[in-house]
Amino acid sequence: MSTSRRHYRVSSARTLPIWLGVLGPLFLASTAHAAPTPAGTPIENTATASYDDGGSTVTIDSNTVSLIVDELLDIAVTWADPGDVTTAPDTDNVVLTFTVTNGGNGPEPVVLGVDPNRAGDDFDPDAVTLFIDTDGNGTYDAGTDTLYDPGSPPVLAAEESITVFILGDIPSASDGERSEVQLTGTAATGSGTPGTVFAGQGEGGGDAVVGSTGATDEDSGFYAIIDADLDLTKSATVLDPFGGTTQVPGAIITYRLVAEATGSGSLDNVVITDSIPDDTSYVDDSITLDGTGLTDVSDADAGEFDGSGIAVSLGTVAGGSSNIIEFQVVID
Amino acid sequence: MKYLIAMFALLAPVGTAMANQVSLDSEVFVERSAEAADGSVTVTLEEPSRVVPGDNLVFVLSYENTGAEPADNFVVTNPMPEAVVFVEAIDGGAVYSVDGGENFGPLTELRVASEGGVDRAAQPVDVTHIRWTLTEPIAAGGSGQLRFRGVVR
Repeated sequence: MSTSRRHYRVSSARTLPIWLGVLGPLFLASTAHAAPTPAGTPIENTATASYDDGGSTVTIDSNTVSLIVDELLDIAVTWADPGDVTTAPDTDNVVLTFTVTNGGNGPEPVVLGVDPNRAGDDFDPDAVTLFIDTDGNGTYDAGTDTLYDPGSPPVLAAEESITVFILGDIPSASDGERSEVQLTGTAATGSGTPGTVFAGQGEGGGDAVVGSTGATDEDSGFYAIIDADLDLTKSATVLDPFGGTTQVPGAIITYRLVAEATGSGSLDNVVITDSIPDDTSYVDDSITLDGTGLTDVSDADAGEFDGSGIAVSLGTVAGGSSNIIEFQVVID
Repeated sequence: MKYLIAMFALLAPVGTAMANQVSLDSEVFVERSAEAADGSVTVTLEEPSRVVPGDNLVFVLSYENTGAEPADNFVVTNPMPEAVVFVEAIDGGAVYSVDGGENFGPLTELRVASEGGVDRAAQPVDVTHIRWTLTEPIAAGGSGQLRFRGVVR
């Protein structure tokens, strides 16, 4: 019997690559939707045979081959935000969200590391900290989620994913600038070239074997600055009582304020105010916003005249938009 | 077990002159592939000291008739270990069970119930048992191998 076994092993060296080529997708398909066998699980194989022995049927068992499934070390790190996390400059504790997965078949502590000082980006966040999504809701909750403790890394069960948050303080930076922050997750047992064996360090006393991910993975998340500025331009036109443009008593001055927001962000609670010049009188109900008249009283519409100046509330103004405000005074 | 069978083979002829004896040996190998610098992949079979999920296994069942008479109607059945997904038979003529060994047939003729009570065609992943029935008796002194592939879940 040992002779035939040897024959098989020799012949297989030539023929196996062909079989593998055909079977590649099948292996993937059969393993993709099944949870990996837990580390320490025995695989025992026994075949049974029967044959006729001169009228009676004889049943025999083969020997039992017993293998132990070792612990596979596989870690995946994925940035989970849908895109750049946008933030205004000078904002504290801006959150990047990552998913860390133990793709192995045994519980494994995952050591986390963060690098906020990546080369090639525009700025670096300060005071970077790591939090574990303790309540598992995928959202950072101050006071609930726990600060990552390097002395006690989170232990992920086989196939378990956790959410990890990076909190960073955003410095003064300009509209459109980006910052790359990298999160690394590494199996505490060890990492390295796939196939590396850590003898006796697997779950259940077996070996731990580095899987296809190298048992370490990293991914980068990005902050992007969104900022906006308001440019205000004022101009005046004069209409005298004679149809000319002379600044004489009785002439009407129309002031035109163009408020133009620049940048990719938006500005909240924008209020444009202008005082009435000396030696002029405000023309009642003359305020217009983008050509629409506004009343002087403080009410639901955006305009107001308080006796000394006008105010127009624009609310939230998006970068790229502009508003035109006009009002009139008469020269005394 | 193998040793016991061998002892049985020695002792049995004393009991009944008509007896024949067939031994059955089970072995499991793991295929490991290594890519060389030139891109060529070499696949070797090892007797595993360890396996991990995703490892490709080759099961080899070796039989030998050590008796003096042919053995008729030789049937070998191998239940799939729970942690192994069946992939394919290497040697032809196998039939399969997808219901824990109740019914056997060609895989293309088997169906399994799926959610909603609708049957679907059985896939290799569904196989619970593989069986070979030899069409010819094993001659005295005859031997052979039956092989199949699986992958560690």
